Amino acid sequence: MTGTRSRRFATAGGVTLVLLITVALAAPLLAPYDPSARVGTPFASPSGAHPLGTNDIGQDLLTTLIFGARISLLVGIVAALAATLVGTSIGVVAGYARGWVDAAVMRLVDVVLALPVLPLTIVIGVFLGPGLSTQILVIASVIWAGTARELRAQVLSVREHDHIQALWAMGGRAGHVLPRHVLPAVAPLVVPQFVLATKTAILLEASLAFLGLGDITAKSWGTMLSLAQARSAFLTDAWLWWVVPPGVAIAVTVLSFALLAYAFEERARPSLADRFGGSPGTADLRSAVPGEPPTSGGDPLVIDELTVAYRDAVAVDRMRLRVAPAELVALVGQSGSGKSTVAAASTGLLPAAARITGGRVLVCGQDVAALGPEQLRSLRGDRVGLIPQEAMSALDPVRTIGDQIAEAVTAHRRMGRAAVRARVGELLSVVSLHPDRARDYPHQLSGGMRQRVVIAIALAAGPELLIADEPTSGLDVLVQAEVLDLLDGLRRRLRLAILVVSHDLPVVERIADRIAVMHAGQLVEIGPAGRIRAEPDHPYTRRLVEATPRLRLPEAASR
Amino acid sequence: MSRLRRALGRAGQYVLVLVAATTLNFLLPHLAPGDPVTYRYGGQTAALTPEQLDEVRASYGLDAGLPEQYWSFWAGLVRGDLGVSIGYSRPVLAVLAERLPWTLALVGVATLLAFGLGTLLGAVAAWRRGSRRDVGIVTGVLALDAMPGFWVGMLLISVFSVELGWFPSYGAAAITADGAAEWVGVAQRMVLPVATLTLASLGSIFLLARASMTSVLDEAFIRLARSKGISERRLAVRHALRNALLPVYTNLTLAVGTLVSGAVVVETVFAYPGIGRMIYEAVIARDYPLLQGAFLLVTVGVLAANLLADLTYPLLDPRVRRSEAVEAREPAR
Repeated sequence: MTGTRSRRFATAGGVTLVLLITVALAAPLLAPYDPSARVGTPFASPSGAHPLGTNDIGQDLLTTLIFGARISLLVGIVAALAATLVGTSIGVVAGYARGWVDAAVMRLVDVVLALPVLPLTIVIGVFLGPGLSTQILVIASVIWAGTARELRAQVLSVREHDHIQALWAMGGRAGHVLPRHVLPAVAPLVVPQFVLATKTAILLEASLAFLGLGDITAKSWGTMLSLAQARSAFLTDAWLWWVVPPGVAIAVTVLSFALLAYAFEERARPSLADRFGGSPGTADLRSAVPGEPPTSGGDPLVIDELTVAYRDAVAVDRMRLRVAPAELVALVGQSGSGKSTVAAASTGLLPAAARITGGRVLVCGQDVAALGPEQLRSLRGDRVGLIPQEAMSALDPVRTIGDQIAEAVTAHRRMGRAAVRARVGELLSVVSLHPDRARDYPHQLSGGMRQRVVIAIALAAGPELLIADEPTSGLDVLVQAEVLDLLDGLRRRLRLAILVVSHDLPVVERIADRIAVMHAGQLVEIGPAGRIRAEPDHPYTRRLVEATPRLRLPEAASR
Repeated sequence: MSRLRRALGRAGQYVLVLVAATTLNFLLPHLAPGDPVTYRYGGQTAALTPEQLDEVRASYGLDAGLPEQYWSFWAGLVRGDLGVSIGYSRPVLAVLAERLPWTLALVGVATLLAFGLGTLLGAVAAWRRGSRRDVGIVTGVLALDAMPGFWVGMLLISVFSVELGWFPSYGAAAITADGAAEWVGVAQRMVLPVATLTLASLGSIFLLARASMTSVLDEAFIRLARSKGISERRLAVRHALRNALLPVYTNLTLAVGTLVSGAVVVETVFAYPGIGRMIYEAVIARDYPLLQGAFLLVTVGVLAANLLADLTYPLLDPRVRRSEAVEAREPAR
């Protein structure tokens, strides 16, 4: 899983770096020769005395490689330190000051980021002349901008945090709020920024040295490669011992920093981790007793003793529910009551972390948990349509409405182009939209229209069951009523079984035949809408009903 | 309204970058230790007497005040006068023009390949984030990204040119060939540099694509698309990848910067006659005017690539195509 993986990455990167730094520090002890001494014949092949052979003037290549670690790491780390210091200060000040200071600084940052890195460093480097300090200066002056931009964004977001806002409201002064509250929140992000900067700096140093802008007296790995290139070592067998080792050294060093940075980032954003916790439970979880006839009696949705768990937490506990053709059942409860999990389980769209640990869901007689991916696919849309949460953003923003409806039609039936177009127009009319809307993109429609399109998609393949998860969220009251009336009309006209999941009892009670109330994963009460409203049995339901302001007198429970 | 403002902001940004690059070009010889004349002549001024030096300074207008020099520098730029190359004794612009097509070809092809391959790998990795395949691809790309581009090039030469003899190791065209053979020669000599450049610049595009795909896969529209019962492949390509492409495309800046930097070292390794190799030669020869001209040209090139991405972005994203319509219709209900 992701947590252990990022730890493994961090360990691998960290251990390698410690090793490399040790080698660099202990270079005089480890290296067999003096790095500047000519200790062998030029261009010697590897031998016992010179494991990596010698270069064009007879220096030992292994010695050069070991001492090269010092220069490469020194330039990389010092340049990155300088860049991180400058970048962090500038980013924090810009994000903190905002206003014109921020605008001016960010303009500068954008300019630096837009300039091509290597040509820029080359031009500056050439004019400042060769040398280690020049290299460090040049590299730092180019890479600070990325850090500044990242830190500024972080400071801006920290500023918006409630407790910082509260400090401002209480009259906190900048001199107090910045060091005490903003900096500690931002500090953990400086480390990955530094690690990333080091990685970039080491690669840049190698490129600069390769292009002859390094310090010839202090050979880095890049300088070694530059000399190898100048002596055409890669055109002979010498590439194996002259070209490969320094490159591998650079790659290993940079990769170690990259792995560390990756692990830091993954940890800084835990929301990204564990998205794919385990494979969704399917075949091994079937619970239908063999030979038992489907007890559905033809009902499109039968939920029987369903239990769903997220890891160890039980989200749905022995849930039972049926929805008959042309019936509209409302499933109500607070957020976290498990109602959306029931909806997801009924379409085989449970999140990866959730598992059906008991009971079953029969959609049109088929046990959803027992179906393979391909069978599930053919069930979705064709037998059961879903109106997902956040319907306002449930349409693909870059494709036309018509295209998206057509896709739902053709997913299950082969049809000619004209027939598809006709069917799309028909579906749009069913949800009271003009067929010409097919050419529009989602952003060209209002929220209520988008919700209608989503309903049209759910209806496209002619399902027997419709599951609507909070179908009215985000819509204003008038549109809510329109959408619910549409659903109500559809189930009568098309004899659809509809399960509406909602946290909002008054919104759904008007159209529901029966209301099921969920609390803490359990079904606490179910019954005709009128009775639930008039004389709720369960204390929780009573609280729910009493909490609702009522404008109309309850109608007779005639529905 | 807001769109126009954004476009103007972008344009302002481009102008700012251009002015900054040019000003930097102008200031560098003045900031450097020593005399600009020394730099103009690549350290060959020792042979000149002080009187001759003054003459040279006057002839270049270097005896004038800094603002005045800056002004004439810009005037020269507008006329397309980038000075005279020391190494070639020819106008810098002419030398650059000769080299540009090779670099354009190299970087152009590599950009397309890196963009395609990086996006595809990023999408595949993000599809099952945290799976073994994802970890494998991420580790592989990070390792590739950690290798210096010139080193990858040297290895490719050692293996494919020297050991296997499949491709020529240097140059852009065969010297004695014409007609179809010439084109074959050009293509053959492009394979290794393009491969090197693509491999060396894949990383940033890959990471961007993977992050973008990951967040797209969490979107509500993916859930809706899945509930239609369409195939996973269709879902991945038509909905997820299609949307994940947008931020990758807008952040082309990152990639083009990396690619241009990569071109400098890759062309050097392969002795490819483009701008990058020329920069290397100018560094070796301390040919300052040529170097400055090249830097300016490269900056303009990166900006042009970004401008192109800005202008073509509406083809990918309908939301910016007809944004007036949204504002007109949204409150209409």
